Amino acid sequence: MPHTPSLVHPTSRNLMTPRFSLLLSVMAGLVVAFAPLSVASTTHQERTIRIEANQFSYSPSDIQINPGDTVNIQLVSTDVVHGLYIDGYDISVEADPGQIATLTFVADKPGSFRFRCNVTCGAMHPFMIGKVTVGANHWLYRSIGLALVSVVGFFPLSTFLSQRKRKGEKDTTL
Amino acid sequence: MNRIELTRNPFLKSALKSRYPQLAVFIVMLIGYIFAILAGLIGTPVGSHNFSIVFVWIAWWAILILVAVPFFGRGWCAVCPIPLPGEWLQRGAVLAPPDKKPKWLNLRVPKMFRNIWMQNISFLLLALFSSVLLTTPNMTGIVLAGMLFAAIGLSMIFERRAFCRYLCPVGGFIGIYSQTAPIELRIKEKQICVTCEGKPCYNGSSAGYGCPWDVFPGGLTKNTYCGLCMECIRTCPHDNIAVNLRPFSADLAKPSTRIDEAFKAFIMLGSAMIYAAVLLGPWGTFKDAAYTVGTSAWFLYALLFLTIICGILPGFFALGILRTNSHTPIKQRFTSLSTALIPLGLMFWVAFSLSFVLTNASYIIAALSDPLGLGWNLFGTANAVWQPMLTTLLGPAQTLALVGGLIWSTRTAQKAASEVNVSSILVITYCFILTSIMLWLLL
Amino acid sequence: MKRTELFSRTLILFGIVLAVAMPLYFWNQTPLIHARIADDGGWNPDVIRAEAGKPLHLRLISDDVMHGFAVGQMDIDTVDVEPGKVTDITLTFDKPGIYTFYCTRWCGLNHWRMRGTIEVRGASSAEEIPSSIPLYVTLDLDIDALHDSPVIPSTRPSAINGQQSAMNLDIARISTSDFYKSHSPYQAFEELDSLPLTDSEKWDVVSVIWKSNTSTESLSDGKKLFAQNCAACHGENGAGDGVFADDLAAAGKDSMQTMNGAMKMSMQTPVDFTDPTRMLGSSPALLQGKVLRGGMGTGMPMWGSIFTEDQIWNLIAYLYSFQFEYEK
Repeated sequence: MPHTPSLVHPTSRNLMTPRFSLLLSVMAGLVVAFAPLSVASTTHQERTIRIEANQFSYSPSDIQINPGDTVNIQLVSTDVVHGLYIDGYDISVEADPGQIATLTFVADKPGSFRFRCNVTCGAMHPFMIGKVTVGANHWLYRSIGLALVSVVGFFPLSTFLSQRKRKGEKDTTL
Repeated sequence: MNRIELTRNPFLKSALKSRYPQLAVFIVMLIGYIFAILAGLIGTPVGSHNFSIVFVWIAWWAILILVAVPFFGRGWCAVCPIPLPGEWLQRGAVLAPPDKKPKWLNLRVPKMFRNIWMQNISFLLLALFSSVLLTTPNMTGIVLAGMLFAAIGLSMIFERRAFCRYLCPVGGFIGIYSQTAPIELRIKEKQICVTCEGKPCYNGSSAGYGCPWDVFPGGLTKNTYCGLCMECIRTCPHDNIAVNLRPFSADLAKPSTRIDEAFKAFIMLGSAMIYAAVLLGPWGTFKDAAYTVGTSAWFLYALLFLTIICGILPGFFALGILRTNSHTPIKQRFTSLSTALIPLGLMFWVAFSLSFVLTNASYIIAALSDPLGLGWNLFGTANAVWQPMLTTLLGPAQTLALVGGLIWSTRTAQKAASEVNVSSILVITYCFILTSIMLWLLL
Repeated sequence: MKRTELFSRTLILFGIVLAVAMPLYFWNQTPLIHARIADDGGWNPDVIRAEAGKPLHLRLISDDVMHGFAVGQMDIDTVDVEPGKVTDITLTFDKPGIYTFYCTRWCGLNHWRMRGTIEVRGASSAEEIPSSIPLYVTLDLDIDALHDSPVIPSTRPSAINGQQSAMNLDIARISTSDFYKSHSPYQAFEELDSLPLTDSEKWDVVSVIWKSNTSTESLSDGKKLFAQNCAACHGENGAGDGVFADDLAAAGKDSMQTMNGAMKMSMQTPVDFTDPTRMLGSSPALLQGKVLRGGMGTGMPMWGSIFTEDQIWNLIAYLYSFQFEYEK
């Protein structure tokens, strides 16, 4: 008497086709990309950060801020006229040596943003860059998560599952 | 094989076959190139307002890495002006004349150089000086002129496009990456070539010249060395050559067995990561070291650069390969699996380039009106201010490019691994680690 | 040769010649004044010729960093000279003479050396105003000699506190502009010796005298001049700790100059205006001398051709505000 697969194998295995695992991966990816992350709420402070600018870097060049803080960046140029423009916030300030310029803003956009010089200050001016992170660099974590999901989810998983399926089918043909 | 033959369209076919449209494009490109050299040499030393920097390292580079290479493979080579003066002199004509003997030395490039090692070296050399090259109009002008004269010189000595095929730093990586493109030039039916006498596609005829890229079109299976110059379409007496639309990365299904090409993949991967760290990162010490050519800091930087690209990256990869068990020789495993790094490297460059292109594209608008910094205002836009573009899209676009590249690499690794009977897991892990590092560097 | 071949070759040659000749021609024919940091040559050209009464049209461009352009002792709007971008400016000179043009935006340690001259020819129909002799010369002051104040106040003198006591005193003689300009605060303090006041109160009175010889407007002008021209070396708060102070000290080790063998001058750290010993021993005339003449190799620029007399007095008045409290 022929053995029908449904009698021998549990139903769940028939669902794990490559297409299904692909769907699973896509859904996992969407979760990783868009699921809202809870932001630790802290009381808003006012912070003053002094940044020295010279050809062609800032000091400090990597800054951490809490979301919602009011930030005063004091730009101190130490050799020529430099600027400080923040990506994402689209605000800037420029300072002559000898005259500190202050840029005040509320850190309402979370994430990691580069700040760069917006007054041509020499050859390497386009690469005069610093980084300010408001809260945590969530987008980076999500991206690495997506990379992981894609590596684990898309192909090795489907390969493994299709191999198992093939092995399972072989077993049924006796 | 799902291919759509584009040259079936009679309009497209005659446009490609005719020398006139191509010549028109050539002339425009050549004039632009020479103007860029002049701008670099006598225009303002301020890079952001000089035509040479803005139109070579921002506009041309953006079009090259974001459009030409991913979608047209060696499409840039098809219109590049660098070989033209040399080739016209070599041929003794601009448009094809009836059979004429070659005028110059026409030597064959020695076997020792018939690979891409010279291109690997020329790219690395430029890369070590890139901080200065990308920002100093003088240097750009000199390098552009240097390449032009090198191409002319090589055309006087060697046959065909020796500069393009064996020396051009850009051609080195365009060739490798063209394997991923959805366009190809191939013969239609193999049997026709077998019985073809004289092989005019390679040897030339009264209708045109033999392949300037030293490729036998009848044996073309990958895009790597075909420069899309359309010469063979003109010479084939049997109308057996076609330009096809095809799926992306079709050529990667046939992994390379060459170490020079494998090495190129590492060079491109490594340099994208190092540039991301040095140029786009917040670390001033690295930038200074990269820029102050000749100082001890720069020597250290150069050493680090070469160690990462020639030592660490391929070294770790090789370690992973050694741990796999297979009957295929280790060299073949290495070259075959390093094919997986090609789509990854391309997407690394796309992600990296997106950043500085979107940030600085606004310079193009001003440079159009005042290319030399002489106070012109040709189109009224000379006073356009610097303004980064589409910055909210940048992060997601980079993630898409890098994760997309990783998926693409994973798929390529799997296919390559199954052909040499090893597990692809180590290569995939390697790609994942590098992608994570690149994400961290760029985001 | 086929016609198409001939035409193509002509077109190509024509294109190449155009691509080479046009930039060269325009580059040659466009007279621009290039600004570079002083270490790389400064202004080029740095001598401009003009005629009195005729408008002088200048086209300026920077070859490296942000610069600015202004003409000394002329009331014109200063313009920025931006890297890679051409700025146009038109000047008209009423009187012939030699004018100094200078950079107005700090472009490095040697920013103040970025100067050039405009030689204006013309009929001297207008009466030539004789250039005034600086006060320190008239007074025969040795502005390089030590001028420390022997006595310094224990607290910061305040013109607000001193206002009350000063009203009841007969200090008219020592409050005149002439007295103020030619005497140091210490010398004024000495003049108050006979009065029944504490030292602290006497210093307060001195600060009142000093304040009376200037105005809010003048102090504001001086403050602006200080911020734009002095703060980079002397510090925004006058403490000699400006962004270039360290570079000057380092340069000092490398550059030593002798002056007729009599005195060795070297790059020094910029003067600390908050130091009472030095400031209270300096008269406005002495400070004016320093500002006009510069520091003879110490790195202190000479401002004689740049600032008007009024501007210098305003600046000096502001300098004393680092010592005296003029307002809450």
